[in-house]
Amino acid sequence: MPKIEVKQAGLERYSTLKPSVDELTEMLPAVKGEVDEVNRETGVLKLEFNDTNRPDLWSTAGAGRALRSYYTGWLPTYEFFSRPARSLPDDGRRVTVDPSLAEVRPYLAAFALRGPAMDAVTLDDLIQTQEKLCWNFGRKRKSIAMGVYRSQSIHYPVRYQAVDPKTTRFQPLGLEKTLSLSEILKEHPKGVEYGSIVAGLPMFPFLTDSGGEVLSFPPIINSAHLGAVQVGDQELFVEMTGTDLPSLTLAVSIVACDLADAGYTILPVTVEYPYDTPFGKTVTFPYYFQEEVKAELGFINKLLGINLVGEEAQNALAKMGVTSRYGNGMLTVIPPVYRNDFLHPVDVAEDVAVGRGLASFEPERPSDATIGRLTDAELFGRRVRDLMIGMGFQEMIFNYLGSRHDFIERMNISGDDVVQILNPMTENYEYVRNSIAPNLLEAEGVSGNALYPHHIFEVGKVVRLEPSHREGSVTTNSLGWLSAAPDEGFNQINSRVAALLYYLGKDYKVKESSDPRFIPGRAAEVWIERKAQPEFAGVFGEVHPAVLENWNAGIPCTLGELNLDVLAR
Amino acid sequence: MDQDTLVKSLHPLEVKVLLTFGPGVPLTAGVLGEKLGYKVGQANQAFSWLCGKGLARETGRTSKTVYEITELGREQVAGGTPEENLLKALDNGPVAMADAAQLLGLEQKDMGSAYGQLAKEGLVAMDETKRIVKKAAQSPRLKTLRVLLQKAAEADLDESFLTDDEKAILSANAKKRGAAASVFKVSERETVVYELTPEAGSAVAIIRAQGVTGDELGALTPALLTSGAWKTGVFRPYNVAAPPSRLVIGRRNPYQEYILGVKDKLVSLGFEEFDGPLVETEFWNGDALFMPQFHSARDIHDVYYVKNPTHAKEIEQPWLDRIAAAHTNGGDTGSRGWGYNFDRDFTRRLILRSQGTVLSAKQLPHAKIPGKYFGVVRCFRYDQVDATHGADFYQTEGIVLGSDVNLRTLLGLLKMFAIEVAGATEVKYVPGYFPFTEPSVEVHIKHPVLGWFEMGGSGIFRPEVTKSLGVDVPVLAWGLGIDRMALMSLGLSDIRELFTANIENVRLRRRS
Repeated sequence: MPKIEVKQAGLERYSTLKPSVDELTEMLPAVKGEVDEVNRETGVLKLEFNDTNRPDLWSTAGAGRALRSYYTGWLPTYEFFSRPARSLPDDGRRVTVDPSLAEVRPYLAAFALRGPAMDAVTLDDLIQTQEKLCWNFGRKRKSIAMGVYRSQSIHYPVRYQAVDPKTTRFQPLGLEKTLSLSEILKEHPKGVEYGSIVAGLPMFPFLTDSGGEVLSFPPIINSAHLGAVQVGDQELFVEMTGTDLPSLTLAVSIVACDLADAGYTILPVTVEYPYDTPFGKTVTFPYYFQEEVKAELGFINKLLGINLVGEEAQNALAKMGVTSRYGNGMLTVIPPVYRNDFLHPVDVAEDVAVGRGLASFEPERPSDATIGRLTDAELFGRRVRDLMIGMGFQEMIFNYLGSRHDFIERMNISGDDVVQILNPMTENYEYVRNSIAPNLLEAEGVSGNALYPHHIFEVGKVVRLEPSHREGSVTTNSLGWLSAAPDEGFNQINSRVAALLYYLGKDYKVKESSDPRFIPGRAAEVWIERKAQPEFAGVFGEVHPAVLENWNAGIPCTLGELNLDVLAR
Repeated sequence: MDQDTLVKSLHPLEVKVLLTFGPGVPLTAGVLGEKLGYKVGQANQAFSWLCGKGLARETGRTSKTVYEITELGREQVAGGTPEENLLKALDNGPVAMADAAQLLGLEQKDMGSAYGQLAKEGLVAMDETKRIVKKAAQSPRLKTLRVLLQKAAEADLDESFLTDDEKAILSANAKKRGAAASVFKVSERETVVYELTPEAGSAVAIIRAQGVTGDELGALTPALLTSGAWKTGVFRPYNVAAPPSRLVIGRRNPYQEYILGVKDKLVSLGFEEFDGPLVETEFWNGDALFMPQFHSARDIHDVYYVKNPTHAKEIEQPWLDRIAAAHTNGGDTGSRGWGYNFDRDFTRRLILRSQGTVLSAKQLPHAKIPGKYFGVVRCFRYDQVDATHGADFYQTEGIVLGSDVNLRTLLGLLKMFAIEVAGATEVKYVPGYFPFTEPSVEVHIKHPVLGWFEMGGSGIFRPEVTKSLGVDVPVLAWGLGIDRMALMSLGLSDIRELFTANIENVRLRRRS
């Protein structure tokens, strides 16, 4: 969920509204946003936007534009877009692309702009837009990276090339010396942060002008010279490189519209590819590539449970900044230049619903009569819980993740069947439990001050690796219980198992168990009698003093665990 | 305590003392034993209670030396002392020292000291073949020792009543520091002297007035019932206001109780429960929910990956092909899709379930129409554990399928949950965003006590999800944040407390 910082004054300027913070809080949900933080001294608001398919909202200009449409009915138009049928003149602003980039970082989109001297607020906003677009929408620069340059010094055509990382050198922004591209990955902070995107490539992307002056090493860092944009600049060149041309093109459109709203003239730039792209070999940006989406009004009405006529639906869409046509029961949506989130007619339906306002929908209770039911496992678990409670046990609920130390080492088990996490956040939560026993012993270990005797249990899930299974492991419902008392021993737990299985209606027999968690000769395996052959259901016995010592438990304990999926069969 | 309550609280042991003795008379445990037949323990109990109520007080203490019999001593009362046993053994003729020790089961040095004592008194001697021979049958010392042993077995011996001879014999056989096992133990005894206070007088008056004798019936025993003796007796009233002792009982975990309540409520609203494994595939956890494989929420830092095995053997067909098509170009769902090459290797990647919606998706191919389903299921998120984030936690999710469900019935469903499950008085809907629903709605509710908070998220499943999984009707999908409501209901503020290992905390916890 992207969060952006906006100046209240900036938002007022772009939205043409003057909402108080309270009013803004009421207004933002219409664009799936909320006020996250307010700094009343600086007038800076932190806004959160929930829709990850609406990167056009992640800037002061974009958020302001959406609010202006929704609350004033303004429908913005932008005249600087080339289309498949018609490219606008580029006045010689061209970028050539080297063929070897096809395998490296194939796409580049760009535009230039001219206008008033850049002020600090607009520049900060531009940098924030760059960060949010490239981080949230561009997958941390993997699929979109953006560079902004002082364009009056650029000699066109700009060349997008793939170069040898060892021999190509330039002075990156933020450092006083020239480095090779390979060295930048090791020594420049941005190289360290984003280096993994290019590290495995034989050649690295590189951007120069026709005079050989370096613009940048995308997607890592700009040059110290052309890439150092400052307050006061009046002419800029904006480019984005990446792996997916539609999302790159959309990102370029969003930034161009933001800057146009800020008062700049957007100047088209043509990119010449030596290979085919989804939009052809020569593309002039900003470029409108979005396709019209058709949605039957009847479909929308049914999905929303209402009965609108075409004009009402169109008015609702207009509030969302969306132009549309209507005829013969069919709505045709022309996506705004800065949006590409109409994948399906349901996306049109949602814009209609939000445009109308959710408050206008009268809630209606679903009328289908259906039969409610708990799972068999839940019903069986409830029977087991009731019996354990009847035997004086306190029910516990434990976390399922834990450490190697707790789940394996302290239990004196090999841990061969315990599921391990590849990317744990900490070693405290690195394994999924294969038994409830470690949780029960942990509870005993930390509860030496609680009045004895202790009788605790949990009905919960455990997971064991099972290589033959399609998913490599099996989740089972399990009952684990522990008793701790000075006079606790095998006889007591033996009686409890007998009582439990009697009331669950299970005939069983026991065998001596060699489970290392228990004292040898004082642990039993439970085998449920079946027609074919007995089925293993679990173990119980006196916990081995070595295990008790591992958990700092100073009172004798018995412990048992039974597979409820086996018992329920 | 007023006099009446005070009198009511009197135990028969106290009552008899009050009725038998007047104020100022010196009382000891011995006196109570003599006059009332109290055992020492009963006498001390009576004094302790009476003093506690201000009806008796301590007036002084005297100290005396007593000899107590030891365990070894008790054995010798019945089994004879080593000396007695040696003399008895010699009745059958002379015996060598070593043989005698073996015969009597004595250690060599104990045998030696028994022989030495007896020889000193001339009762035994050694013959020319080094065998022990009996010379006489009895000595005064042996006789006295036997008497003392038998007396001590019945009651401790008060030194002040003993003769010098007896004292000499006792101290020779009494335990000393560092000595081997002995038959007597010396100890200092303190006798405490009490007297009844003037207040006892008024208590006695009330007791007499009420006709209480101290012979009232205490616990109702099976013997009383069998004999019928209760018919002629009077039951002693108990102090019903006395503080009870603590009872630890078996009971449900209050968080589980909350969850059970939610489950039962949902069942009553016509929902059928679903469940599933904790280890899932990227396919069900994300792909089937139309989250593009490049979505930022599917990063390595958002989901826990299983280390080994890394991939499921296969994904169920035809769902794999159909979902892959929905991602690539929309397939037959009416969507244009995300327009990228679906990775069939990545989709088999094994992970820990990160959202309950997985099970809603898995239910779709098997769902009845119309149908309502729900689950309260454990999920895992790559999050720093703190007061609001657990390593694993419960999510409550579900779906409603029906040819006539729509946005208005979604709002109606949410309103029903708000009132029935969360006890809300007001409901507010705002547009939301989830990758798998369109439209999406967040529901905020006003609780009479807790004020406004977000109850959950919901929406209508995207056709890319439902059509790909074989469902042609709209499907409402919803999730409720019940752990937050459970925390509030239990008066807790830290989600980790719901899963605590602290037994005492769980025992004491209760619902408000």
